[in-house]
Amino acid sequence: MADVEFDEVWKQFASQTAAAVKGLSLAIPDHELLVLLGPSGCGKTTALRMLAGLEEPDSGDIRIGAKSVVGLEPKDRDVALVFQSYALYPHLSAHDNIGYPLKVRKLSKADQEAKVQRVAKMLGIGHLLPRRPGQLSGGEQQRVALARAIVREPRVFLMDEPLSNLDAKLRVHTRTELKTLQRELGTTMVFVTHDQAEAMSLANRIAVLNAGELQQIGTPDEVYNDPANLFVAEFIGSPPMNLLEATRDGDSVVTAGGWRIPAPRERAVAGSGTVAAPAGSGGAVTVGLRPEGIAVVQPVQDAQDGVQPAAVVAVEPLGSEVIVDVQVGGQSLKIRAAPDVRPESGSMIGLRADPTAVRLFDRATGLAIH
Amino acid sequence: MTADLTAVAGAELATDQLATERLAARATAPAPRPKARAGPLEWILIHLTFLVVSVFFLVPFVWLLSAAFDAKATAYIQFPVEPTIMNFVRIFTEHDFGRVLVNSVFVAVATMILVVATVALAGYSLSRLDLRRKDWITYAVLLLQTMPISATMVPIYGLARQLGLRNSYLGLILIHAAIELPFLIWLMKGFFDSIPRHLEEAAWLDGRSKLRALVEIVLPLARPGLGIAAGLAFLSAWAEVLMVVILIDQDSLKTVPLAFYEAMRTQGGYVEVQYGVIAAMAVIYLLPVMVVFFAARRLMVRGLMSSTRGL
Repeated sequence: MADVEFDEVWKQFASQTAAAVKGLSLAIPDHELLVLLGPSGCGKTTALRMLAGLEEPDSGDIRIGAKSVVGLEPKDRDVALVFQSYALYPHLSAHDNIGYPLKVRKLSKADQEAKVQRVAKMLGIGHLLPRRPGQLSGGEQQRVALARAIVREPRVFLMDEPLSNLDAKLRVHTRTELKTLQRELGTTMVFVTHDQAEAMSLANRIAVLNAGELQQIGTPDEVYNDPANLFVAEFIGSPPMNLLEATRDGDSVVTAGGWRIPAPRERAVAGSGTVAAPAGSGGAVTVGLRPEGIAVVQPVQDAQDGVQPAAVVAVEPLGSEVIVDVQVGGQSLKIRAAPDVRPESGSMIGLRADPTAVRLFDRATGLAIH
Repeated sequence: MTADLTAVAGAELATDQLATERLAARATAPAPRPKARAGPLEWILIHLTFLVVSVFFLVPFVWLLSAAFDAKATAYIQFPVEPTIMNFVRIFTEHDFGRVLVNSVFVAVATMILVVATVALAGYSLSRLDLRRKDWITYAVLLLQTMPISATMVPIYGLARQLGLRNSYLGLILIHAAIELPFLIWLMKGFFDSIPRHLEEAAWLDGRSKLRALVEIVLPLARPGLGIAAGLAFLSAWAEVLMVVILIDQDSLKTVPLAFYEAMRTQGGYVEVQYGVIAAMAVIYLLPVMVVFFAARRLMVRGLMSSTRGL
């Protein structure tokens, strides 16, 4: 068990024009489950592979347990990696796959057997041990791969989208198990995914990457409630944050459709990885409103202060909630409403923004204004 | 035809243990086409063609078998009046064929071992390592394959003489291996390309050095490829004539092709060509080929099919 540090790490592949990882700095304390989140090609897997020793950084330092691992062979880093493809050895049984790292470490036969059995029991795969990977389902292979990582008790677990090949139901189930397992083992874990819901549900902290650059690092609540910039705002949340073009007017902002929304007071934001832009006195801003930060008011009362009439475009009932698509001044918004809210398509409803949910972004830089 | 072959490859791979590969092969293999029923004329034409081709190739073997068991064999097909095994007895008593066979087996097996060890490492290197000008090296290897070996006959003779490799098995083994290497290196490169890199990376992370990971994880998965490389290297070294004639003239080092050559010689017309003896030698010469082919034919089909995917 150990903490992990990325210190100004750069990596450029010869075959690509842009750097895959640009000056990544991250400190992951011991026992933490950190999720590297971002769209495909954002550099998250490259960062993970550099930590594993499968790629070498061009510059910068990577430390595990306060010691630099740059230049160390993967075998000497004492980290375990679960691959997206699981990478089980096809010619070995599940038992021998799990036992392989122990065999490498020259443990006695009895010790190997005891450890394999213990881990197999922990993951409920005792009955699968004699089978080869080809005879296992995707979920079973995933467990064997996990067992192979756990059995050697590494300093750090690395997970490269290990859930993405599972079907939706199993993925959610395994997610919960993985989180429990990590807490029980207490081993530092770096988990790579492009699935923001997976990141939100698993992480102690999330590091959001885009185009090789760290956008924000913080707890799931922090990145959800206080996105550091427009990219994070749009990437996290489903449906994502509504973004409206607006201009400042005193204590309020006014959107294209003439919707006057009270501007939030200055707030301190914890965990933001980027420097907040200075609150401009005027000019173009982007207003960010989570779908649940807007209340539906029916029927529309013209005179009511702060209520904006909007045309309903579509209604998506999802059982536990309803997503209402509306248009305000030519801009589309999605609103999360209670399951019994069912306005007619084409009708007008009133919208009221929750003042505490309003976020402002500098339209030029895309950075949050606090 | 291509679609059929791909379907066969898919079916062959179904027995493979590489689950991921299997799925990929299934996904890419086109659905088997419904077979169009041939009309009677088409049926006759197809079978007639096959018949002609088969007869053409089978006639020499019919001669071999009939002549081998005939004490008075000639250059024409004639079935023995009194079948006898005298020819087989004579090759071992008068022509020292036992020793010749042992020599041939030794050269072929040694060539096979050298080739397999070399192509495993060379193929892996070309598939995985980050070498400068790798594409040049790869195509240079292919270029070597296209060179007719007889063109280099004279320099090879000179080189072998200067290096003391004439009348030496080492020389024969080296040149036989060199002949086979370019093609088999390409074959193995294709095999290694088709093995997911994650597997060896997993082994590195599990604590293995790169060489041990290659030996323990990658090579077992490349077994079909190594099998076909071994089979082809053995068969090629077993059948090679030209280099044997150039490099060997000592009786004790003689291999089967040289024994044939001598049995064919008429010493200026004083001696008749001993067709029965040649046929008996040929029958025995063919046996290991048959054994290797039938032992490895499934592996070879699988190997050739799957190697083409990686290229």
